Amino acid sequence: MVLPVTTLDELFGAALMVPDAIDAERAAAVRARHESSYTRYALVDRGNYEYVDDPNEPELIELMQRAAERATGRTLAPRSARILRLLPGSYVLAHHDGIREDNPVEVTLDLSRAPVPDAELHYRRRGQVYFRFPCLPGGLAIVERGVTITCNHCYVSKLHVAASVVRLVVTLRDSDSAMHTTRNTSR
Amino acid sequence: MWTVLRDETQLAASWRRAEPFPHLVIDDAFASESVAGLLAVLEEEAVDRYEGEIFRFEASAPEPTTQELRAVRDGFAAAFAPVFARITGKPVTHVDMRAYAYRPGHYLLPHSDHRDGLARALAYAYYLPSPEPPRGGELELFACRVDGGEIVATDSALMIEPRGNRLVVFDVSEVSLHQVREVLAGLRISLAGWFYP
Repeated sequence: MVLPVTTLDELFGAALMVPDAIDAERAAAVRARHESSYTRYALVDRGNYEYVDDPNEPELIELMQRAAERATGRTLAPRSARILRLLPGSYVLAHHDGIREDNPVEVTLDLSRAPVPDAELHYRRRGQVYFRFPCLPGGLAIVERGVTITCNHCYVSKLHVAASVVRLVVTLRDSDSAMHTTRNTSR
Repeated sequence: MWTVLRDETQLAASWRRAEPFPHLVIDDAFASESVAGLLAVLEEEAVDRYEGEIFRFEASAPEPTTQELRAVRDGFAAAFAPVFARITGKPVTHVDMRAYAYRPGHYLLPHSDHRDGLARALAYAYYLPSPEPPRGGELELFACRVDGGEIVATDSALMIEPRGNRLVVFDVSEVSLHQVREVLAGLRISLAGWFYP
């Protein structure tokens, strides 16, 4: 068997999108639970958004973990979880993203109430976008990270005055990789 | 014809005390009766849509394609490079120049312009009168707090309206953080680039 890989670099970065991972009612309930818990981030050369760290959503995180395990064939354990909320004028730049040295799996669940045009999540390999996850309420993105993979959340236009992009991002690592580390260069 | 900046001593003082980082705002930078001629030059210059992680706008090619815009660039450099060299103390001699059109939904997110090896010394933007004056599109300057060589806090410090026939010049450094706020309506037309040694 010949793998369609031209460089070692391309072994990492596999990505897929799953629509309708959860229904709108469940997403609304999650949004409501965290509505008053957001913290604002505004180091503007890196990002401008709101977040909730370590949200208490064990069932949802387990659902995301199982989906990632099925997709990757790896045995994974959650290492971090964060809800991001991007309102008009918000963005998260790749410059704000950490370097992932232990090839984790990143799972993003879109909890938004409605789609927002152009509010995509981009994964980049050596700076070039290779995977685009649109604002897709209820949808899930699963990405195997590598050291050359970064991501950014695109700018949300102020022309969409009612826009609210809500994403639960869970980072999973191999369950036996407790000694591995993440070198986060910019947070 | 670009305006002649006469009181260089006062401008140098303004440059030094400007916050959040050195900059100048010069209104009526071009002879008002000739601005229409500048707009005519731009009408002949092709623009393309550019979109990246921090920007969405229309712009001409990095090197002007028409002799007319090259002449505008060279005239701008001849008029201002020696003056700004004296005012800022940076020995600039030449410029590059592109034409930009920001329409609704276009923006340029916060960044510093500083890139190792590119030798950008001063940044400039000259705003042309627009047939549809923009709502939004301000040049916003940020104050940065640095700790251990890293930016650890950013605060909006100044908003400069893209008024027709206005020239803005600002210092380029690792902390010259600025953005073009999203244009919400109308059209923002500018010539912009950098002064180099």
